[in-house]
Amino acid sequence: MIRRPLPLTAALAICLMATASARAQAPAEDDINEALEKAIKASVAKVAPSVVQIETQGGTELISTGERGMQVRKGVGPTTGVIVSEDGFIISSAFNFANKPSAIFVTIPGRTAREPATVVATDHTRMLTLIRVKTDGKLPVPTAAPKKELQVGQTAVALGRTVINLDDKELKQSPVLSVGIVSALNRIWGKALQTDAKVSPTNYGGPLIDISGRVQGILVPASPRDENVLAGTDWYDSGIGFAIPLEDINGVLDRLKKGTDLRAGLLGITMQGDTFSPPVVSAIQPDSAAAKGGILAGDTIVAIDEKPVASQAQLKHQLGNKYDGDEISVTVKRGDKTEVLKNLRLSASLTSFTPPFLGILPLRDDPEMGVEVRYVFPKSPADAAGIKVGDRITTVQIPGMMKPQQFSGRDQFSAIVGKLPPGTEVKLEVQRAAGGQVDPIRVKLGVLTDEVPEKLPATASARKALEPRKGQNAPAPKKPEKKPETGLLKRATAARENEYYVYVPDDYDPNTSYSLVLWLHPVGKGKEKDMEAFRDAWEDYCSANHLIIVAPTTESEKGWQGTDTDFVSQAVRDTMAQYTIDTKRVVAHGMGVGGQMAYYLGFQSRDLFRGVATTGAVLASPAKDNIAGQPLSFYLVAGGKDPLAKEIADTKTRLLEKKYSVAHREIPAMGHQYLEIKTLAELVRWLDSLDRI
Amino acid sequence: MIRGMTAPAALLALALCAAPAATQQQFDKAVKDVNQKMVKIYGLGGFRGLPAYGTGMAISADGYILTVSGYLIESPKDLRVHLADGRRFDKIKVVAVEPELDAALLKVEDLKDEIPFFDLKESAKRPAGQPGDWVLAFSNQFEIATRNEPMTVQRGSVASVSRLRARKGITEAPYNGEVYVVDAITNNPGAGGGALTTRKGELIGMVGKELRNTLTDTWTNYALPLNAKIEVIPDAEKPDVKATVSLLDFIDKGIKGTYKTVARVRPEGGTGGYHGIILVTNPEGVDRAPPYIEEVRSGSPGAKVGLKSDDLIVYVNGELVSSVKTFKDIISKTKPTDEITLEVKRGDKLRQVTVKLEDHPKVAKVPAPK
Repeated sequence: MIRRPLPLTAALAICLMATASARAQAPAEDDINEALEKAIKASVAKVAPSVVQIETQGGTELISTGERGMQVRKGVGPTTGVIVSEDGFIISSAFNFANKPSAIFVTIPGRTAREPATVVATDHTRMLTLIRVKTDGKLPVPTAAPKKELQVGQTAVALGRTVINLDDKELKQSPVLSVGIVSALNRIWGKALQTDAKVSPTNYGGPLIDISGRVQGILVPASPRDENVLAGTDWYDSGIGFAIPLEDINGVLDRLKKGTDLRAGLLGITMQGDTFSPPVVSAIQPDSAAAKGGILAGDTIVAIDEKPVASQAQLKHQLGNKYDGDEISVTVKRGDKTEVLKNLRLSASLTSFTPPFLGILPLRDDPEMGVEVRYVFPKSPADAAGIKVGDRITTVQIPGMMKPQQFSGRDQFSAIVGKLPPGTEVKLEVQRAAGGQVDPIRVKLGVLTDEVPEKLPATASARKALEPRKGQNAPAPKKPEKKPETGLLKRATAARENEYYVYVPDDYDPNTSYSLVLWLHPVGKGKEKDMEAFRDAWEDYCSANHLIIVAPTTESEKGWQGTDTDFVSQAVRDTMAQYTIDTKRVVAHGMGVGGQMAYYLGFQSRDLFRGVATTGAVLASPAKDNIAGQPLSFYLVAGGKDPLAKEIADTKTRLLEKKYSVAHREIPAMGHQYLEIKTLAELVRWLDSLDRI
Repeated sequence: MIRGMTAPAALLALALCAAPAATQQQFDKAVKDVNQKMVKIYGLGGFRGLPAYGTGMAISADGYILTVSGYLIESPKDLRVHLADGRRFDKIKVVAVEPELDAALLKVEDLKDEIPFFDLKESAKRPAGQPGDWVLAFSNQFEIATRNEPMTVQRGSVASVSRLRARKGITEAPYNGEVYVVDAITNNPGAGGGALTTRKGELIGMVGKELRNTLTDTWTNYALPLNAKIEVIPDAEKPDVKATVSLLDFIDKGIKGTYKTVARVRPEGGTGGYHGIILVTNPEGVDRAPPYIEEVRSGSPGAKVGLKSDDLIVYVNGELVSSVKTFKDIISKTKPTDEITLEVKRGDKLRQVTVKLEDHPKVAKVPAPK
């Protein structure tokens, strides 16, 4: 048998059982309530010696998550920590140190002297901070409740050490307690357990304990929607509280003790669709675990560490609790084959790809080999290297290529050059328009411009979009059997659930590729007359600059929702299937909430959109990383009188941080309204220059 | 035996299988008993977000009511009381108010019969509540009930028994004695004056107001214990003579008509004693600059106990000094004859010294040029 004293609760239970049978299966209610109450007190008393009080000096009064982020006033009182090893390591919530105090002091129960403490390391994924005090004696370490024994409904008591009692320097008093149950397991992407005990600054950093005095977890503010140190603080005392399982903390304790800050391990993939869609990889970040491990765009992830995943949410549950440096195996389905990619080492940060720039606009719809230069951006690398309008670039040689390589047209050229980092030296052969001789040219790629040409040559296309491309085995684009419809057309998605408008200029020429502008109207401007007004503003440009407009509508009073993504994308795809659309110039354009939707679509449907143009719209979510091979450019307009102007300028900064090309125009006399003629004309030139290389 | 089942699980299973009916019965009895003694109070309010309703407890058979002090009872002609049996009384006398205890005593006039009441003296004889005790809170928060409808009952535990450190807006709450902090969200609009009882319905405290805890900057849920007391100066002419007034005293004298609202002892603001410590001035951008010692005047009380530059003052009289400002605030309340205990951090050790404050020197010493 087990040779150790029976835990108090077990003794109680047995005693109760005895009472129960003695009283014919109907124990007095008092006994049960009292037994439970006593058991809770006993469990609190058992853990109490390990629950320390933390006081800090200095630091800021407010904790904020950024310019326009949340702000929380840090209380001046003490906070809580839990001893995790007898040699003086104490785990606590990162919230307790988020105001960057200059000194930390710890009171350990049973000792009158306060001990200065230092921060050892922070776990940024679970918002925990490990601190250390010097100690000669052995500190009491509580027992961790095994994760496999945690169950929803179990008693859970939250403890804090936030009471100041000058007559109780040794902390003999009971910790502040709140009684509840375990409400859920595997919350916050598998990182936390949930409780309905009241969790707040009163006990952040303290333990959540079970009825036998074992620590289930360490209390932290947390939210499934955000990862900053304040996320979840607005839920304090609401009955929604979180704790990081102590067993998990013990698993990484050695790393934390060595002073290693822990960060989330990222795979480096982008997916499309919502969280319930299958995890199909749409893009891969350079240098990421996915890139190094051999995941390819188009792969469907079917398992992580051999645990099957069917949706993006399930994938996030498997990956969400991983650390920087963790190794995982990823099973992907590629075509008919299933492949297990092993030892993918996750990393903490991803590199945002900086798109390169040669400085030319190519002539479109040209089936000949090479690329004819339609326009040279002033002061660009191409300009500096002496490339002129009308020249034809015939070969390219990039580092790693043994010899110059021929290529077929704009898309092949940009696929070769567009994934190189800026600063790469590229060798080109250029057949001159004047004279016809071929010159070798060396050019060092710059960074993709945000300039919009003031004037562009009217001839943008060779008007041979439907002819077979030379040097490619791909079949020629299908010629339409009959002349496609033109004008303002009302359409519906296949399921006939959503309506959208398409405007095709009457002089539509299927041999010329058109830019597609997806118009996302502001709230309440989705009526037919609104669409006609929009057409009136754009129709001349549509004809002269080869543009087709797709304008879905929403009747929601709140405007666009994330759930509209599917039907809007479908409307774009349907239109692309019907008309000759230039895939390099598909742009989401919106105003107000429509503009927010445009940002959202731009980031969500990276395979579809190459540009986002907004007016009076703020990016509401974090900007995603720039991805090689799927460039995205931004054109932001703000009215100087629009109250949002400052936040739109901030949106620009955030996009620039992710290395996007961003043109930002603040129009002084304009309020929160649609574009005036001058800006609209520039937006059209921006659309016309989006296939720049 | 309990094979395969953990002890707590067994306990819970037992509780769940065998007990629900019985447990409910027990609460039912307590709830019925307490509800008979609760009253609903209506008064001033209804503007600027201030509720015009509150809760009270009958504490005598002839209609004395205990509730919280505040604007609600300020205008006796606007007061109305609904007794637990549904009867409405419009003639209410404000008998006594003690803002320092946050308590008020009302009397329902024209009451012809005897009503059920809490016997406070008996209740106060019971041992005080302890952290972990199950408690029930009864109040008419949010004016959910009227007339004879019962109070809202909430179940929770005593989270701690500790001094109230709270504020309303930027004003510090007057009562700063011990309270029961509870882990249920009890302190809502109109809840003040409600009853906090044991799970058997025995009264242990009066639910307080909506206040923010200054230490954690969160809303706090608390009740005034029956043994609440404050230190007062009965005679303003003799500020050194202090007396203690308890909640029971207040009620006792209130009923006898002899209670006088008192002035509480507050630390007097003074010039503060001289310590000779000069602190590092506030570095830019730090709201709570820690009190590092820049210099200690030679011969000063600080120098006598060996304080040095670069020492960090951490605790004064046992309380953490979070910033330079806090230190100055504390010192400003001292007198030149006071002794203060400092704990200072030097290197990674904390050492304790007792500084005997002195009169400020007539002319500040200017250190001689080296």
